[in-house]
Amino acid sequence: MKKYRTRKGDGSFIELNENELKAELEQGTSDAADRGKISPLSKEELQYLFELFTYPSKFISVEMGNEVILSYDAATLKVRRVGVSTHRIQSLQVYEKLLGADMLEFDHVDYSIKPVKPIITFEQPELEQALLVTTLPLYYGAQPNLGLYNQPDGPCPNPGELYAAGKISEAQDSQEKAVEYAVSDMVQVGSEMYESGADGINFDTTGAAGDTDFLATLKAVEILRKKFPDMCIEVGMAGEFILGMHGGLSYDDVRLAGLYPHKQIELAQKAGVSIFGPVCNTKTDRSIPWNSARAVTYIKECVKNSKIPIHANMGMGVGGLPMVDHPPTDVVSRASKAMVEITRLDGL
Amino acid sequence: MGKEELFKQAMDAIISSDLKKAEEIAKKAIGEGIDPMELMSRGFRVGITRIGDLFERGEMFLPELIRSAEVMKSVSELIISALPEESREKSGVVLIGTVQGDIHDIGKILVASLLKANGFEVHDVGHDVSVETFIEKAQELNVDIIGSSALLTTTMKYQKDLEGELKRRDLRDRFKTMVGGAPVTQRWADRIGADAYGEDATDAVRRAFELLGKS
Ligand code: B12
Repeated sequence: MKKYRTRKGDGSFIELNENELKAELEQGTSDAADRGKISPLSKEELQYLFELFTYPSKFISVEMGNEVILSYDAATLKVRRVGVSTHRIQSLQVYEKLLGADMLEFDHVDYSIKPVKPIITFEQPELEQALLVTTLPLYYGAQPNLGLYNQPDGPCPNPGELYAAGKISEAQDSQEKAVEYAVSDMVQVGSEMYESGADGINFDTTGAAGDTDFLATLKAVEILRKKFPDMCIEVGMAGEFILGMHGGLSYDDVRLAGLYPHKQIELAQKAGVSIFGPVCNTKTDRSIPWNSARAVTYIKECVKNSKIPIHANMGMGVGGLPMVDHPPTDVVSRASKAMVEITRLDGL
Repeated sequence: MGKEELFKQAMDAIISSDLKKAEEIAKKAIGEGIDPMELMSRGFRVGITRIGDLFERGEMFLPELIRSAEVMKSVSELIISALPEESREKSGVVLIGTVQGDIHDIGKILVASLLKANGFEVHDVGHDVSVETFIEKAQELNVDIIGSSALLTTTMKYQKDLEGELKRRDLRDRFKTMVGGAPVTQRWADRIGADAYGEDATDAVRRAFELLGKS
């Protein structure tokens, strides 16, 4: 039987025959359906994915008219992360003028809210300069990164150590304290950068420290929304479900731990988020067709449940793409086309 | 009560982190002459594996996992004390840490708690740990397995360095090595010559038992 070349989640090449490829797609969608308790992709959608992954061209794209917004988080970091030494503002210009970006984010190399707070007066004039040389919507963004509020990096007793010692309620109390600190920092950084002219604020990799991280973000968004009714607030996620590092936290009477994208969006909307960036994590040991079918299944349900624009995370290790520094175009283009044309989302 | 029913109750006691019930079952089984190791592997350990799986799916959360792990620990001690002196051995000693330059430690914490819950003596050396520290601590604590976690493609190389450094110091045969973390795969483990790769916390426990010939 003819073999089709594709990749695994670690970027390595594999070859699958028709039956194997179809089985990967079916297993990928049923894995997401089973975990998220949502519907799997239909037969037609799976057939469509099969066609994308067997199409002979190296690179494919969406049909004309199906283009979506391309927004880049951590834009001032990504060019430099791969060793190209540009200034932050030049990175933005490269994205806008050479790579066709529609929305960008200006950020600090530490990329967390807490370290930005003491240097905010240095960030403001640079953001202002960046705004002068770009025309697209420009966010200021950083990660809530609640881990930084724990000892030794911050004031709260380390929940990891407390858990290891069996001190469960102490670990939970400490995490609740961290939420308070983080909310205050997120509101401060968000307000000050918005008042300096940022077109919006992006809280990226939300949920990285689990349910505490997500709760802090929702609370901060709620406060910022009241303060600035017209502000654009994007929230991007860290993982496909909210890790229950605390386990007992809720927002609007909904327990946060264990929520999948189609449930996360409901709370994000309630809190006042303008654009939501769901995530599906790549399993590096499985094939890209498996990962892509799985990601599309989650995001489709999220889009269905949403009244606000959805910009899904598509990049290294998320959205069905391999976890490598330069995700290769053969699979990036296939997984992206699948994501756009099946889920009908608004941006990547 | 039949043996199978007792095993099922043992599993349930772990899942519901019910210490009293778990101890009752252990005592009852021992009193009835059931092989304590079988009770462990077909009863209690099935429960903690299930907890690990539920955590991976977002259906169970860290406090529950820790509570169940504590119950598992108490019950393991009870069972070990019921074993004849000569067969009272620990599952094994594991050193675990996140490699240099990498601060991701959530996955590593989970792996460490599940290993502990399964009777391993675990020494967690934290995150951003140099190859030097891994080796020094492994020698000092005389561990059986060195487990390293790497979450970044840029820090995975320290897992390879660890293999090389162990060889250079003629220590490679003294320890078993196990690698994990989101970008890590079996292929990577094979390439660098690690003894095992664990996909998630439950898999890590399975592999650790295999490495020590106790699967
Ligand atoms: C949480 C997180 C963070 C948190 C970490 C908090 C903490 N205390 O751990 C914060 C916000 C601080 C962070 C920072 C960064 N992160 Co980060 N982070 C993540 C995220 C979202 C989830 C990781 C996680 O905890 N998962 C949940 C746990 C349960 O799963 P796990 O870690 O995979 O562990 C399981 C298995 O892998 C296995 N396992 C793990 N260890 C071991 C060890 C052994 C021995 C065995 C057998 C098994 C095993 O068992 C575990 C349990 O099932 C991932 C995305 C992802 N897909 O993984 C990105 C990710 C890993 N981060 C990434 C990046 C780039 C960064 C930053 C560089 C970003 C920045 N500029 O700030 C920094 C780097 C900081 C540093 N020097 O380490 C990238 C890495 C990409 C790459 N090419 O390497 C990822 C993939 C996100 C992305 N797509 O961009 N991050």
